[in-house]
Amino acid sequence: MITNLSVASRKAYRPLTTVALVVATETVGAVFLRQFLLAEDWRLVVTLLAIFAAALVAFERRPHLEGAIASGFRTHRRFATLLGVVLVALFPFALEKNTYALHLCVVSQLYAVLALALNFQLGSANIPNFATGASYGIGAYVSALLALNFDVSFWIALPAAAIVATAFGFLLGIPSMRTRDSYLALVTIAFGVVINQLLNTLDFTGGPNGLVGIPAPEIFGHSFASPLVVLGYELPPQANFYYLSAMLVLVAILFADRLHNSRVGLAWNALRADELAARCQGINTTWYKVLAFAVDAFLAGFAGTIYAFYVGFISPENFTFLVSVTIMTMVIAGGMDNILGVLVGAVLLTLLPEKLRAFSDYRILFFGVTVIGFLLIRPQGIFPKRLRRYEV
Amino acid sequence: MALPILEGERLTMRFGGLVAMAEVSFELARGEILGIIGPNGAGKSTLFNIISGLYVPSSGEVRLEGQRLNGVPAHTIVKRGVARTFQSSRLFGDLSVLDNVIIGRHTHTHCGVFDAIFRHSRAKEELKQAAVHSERLLRTVSRNLFEQRHRPAAELPQADRRRLEIARALASEPKVLMLDEPSSGMDDADTDALMDDIRAVCAERPDLSLMIVEHDMRLVAALPHRVMVLDYGQKLADGPFEEVRRIPRVQEAYLGRRGAASHAEG
Repeated sequence: MITNLSVASRKAYRPLTTVALVVATETVGAVFLRQFLLAEDWRLVVTLLAIFAAALVAFERRPHLEGAIASGFRTHRRFATLLGVVLVALFPFALEKNTYALHLCVVSQLYAVLALALNFQLGSANIPNFATGASYGIGAYVSALLALNFDVSFWIALPAAAIVATAFGFLLGIPSMRTRDSYLALVTIAFGVVINQLLNTLDFTGGPNGLVGIPAPEIFGHSFASPLVVLGYELPPQANFYYLSAMLVLVAILFADRLHNSRVGLAWNALRADELAARCQGINTTWYKVLAFAVDAFLAGFAGTIYAFYVGFISPENFTFLVSVTIMTMVIAGGMDNILGVLVGAVLLTLLPEKLRAFSDYRILFFGVTVIGFLLIRPQGIFPKRLRRYEV
Repeated sequence: MALPILEGERLTMRFGGLVAMAEVSFELARGEILGIIGPNGAGKSTLFNIISGLYVPSSGEVRLEGQRLNGVPAHTIVKRGVARTFQSSRLFGDLSVLDNVIIGRHTHTHCGVFDAIFRHSRAKEELKQAAVHSERLLRTVSRNLFEQRHRPAAELPQADRRRLEIARALASEPKVLMLDEPSSGMDDADTDALMDDIRAVCAERPDLSLMIVEHDMRLVAALPHRVMVLDYGQKLADGPFEEVRRIPRVQEAYLGRRGAASHAEG
């Protein structure tokens, strides 16, 4: 059915029309995000959410609309990527030097990386890992400790923290292989709690007070704590981290896309569908599960480092079990095993609680209602997984 | 007779106090089709699970071309050349038909995480080759299946699901292929078509050996060179179908004691 749809849409739309479709989709997306970020009045927030919901309903009712957009992006892949990069690069200039909006962008992007990291497990291989928050914390603490105790620069701490987090990922992955499903989830929850408790009690991690005074990164003499001046236009200091985390998101998307469309991604999908059948196709299921843990921890470690250097102060309460649950919700609500879906889920769920502050005490309630509402419209997530295609 | 490709020697499988298989020995020659029949619970699937490495036998030995398979992990056994299908079809339902076959080529592809990310063009090329190979394989197994290669496997009708399982198993280029009740859930016309497909597969690969667990006696009478009968985990008989079906103990196992008696009288 999907094949027929995309074939039909390819015939129905001329190249110019599909290019226009790509441009329109990306521009509308960027403008929508800008309005949402800058919206102060709760009525505007609710209206924007309603528009988003209406768009989802339209997609659900008219699958050929979604198919046409998807095939447009597929045929003009390079152009769509380039346009996306340009839009992301120009985005901070459209935010009227609003530091809070920029801050939300940075946090959204870090969560996007975390959600993409977890997606390798939850989305591709159906491994319920509740320890992504812990890997995030390990990345943050390792880099912060390196910077504070040994004056290690950010650029060296970044890969070092990712490597340590990966090692912990393996460490968690190996015992987890003796369990599965709910029991596996319990092991990962325990791991997360243990890491959190250790951060809370150990002396060298600063206990509950955490680590303070992590220096801002520098590049070619430009400190990330100072404003970013581009062609005479001054962007707030947050913009430095905006571009840094945007790069990380780009790397994470590249990782995710390449792994998804590879033998490894296929093996993970086989695991998700039927583990026993996967073994009988020659897939070493244990190894592939451990790999998924390692890749998740690797990316989460990167995100943790940027977070630590961005806020300059970290404590155990930044990396609790709740963080892991939030990341998991992002993947599920966004769309498991769909890169775009996971990204949208991460941004939406980061911004929602902030934008619903007008509801004060009821905001978590509204947050829950909104997520459930989206899931009612799109039960498989905002953008569900799609079948692979090959250029044979 | 040449060295058998696969042999089992006094295979015994105990689950706690339950003996699922007791001292079953068998041999499979290169290019041979061996049918395995027996009532439910006779140990047919247990035998397949032992050979494919899902169970480790309590005692006895399985050998593939003289090499011991006991305790070898299931994924390595596939690499050595034993592939199988399942009684209740276990396809990767949310993946496309083509992806199912490409996954079947897992043991013939090599790119890992590092290659996928940093040597992208190599990984892409390898996967493309696998896709080309899989499409060709699908076309030879069933034209109809090939036409549906971009559909999710879960949407296929029952007969095509069986064919896809066979195609997926063949993708690993096995020496021994084990089919667990390939015709279950099929009507006569579908079963006939399936038998033609299996014959075509064998004609193209004269060295491929097959083990087929089956209940449909039409298929058992027509396809296998030889039939092995299991009952209560023990081997009752082994030989050409025409001979095996006359053995009273076999009739007893299948029809029950009284049924066999009346069958003998009538």
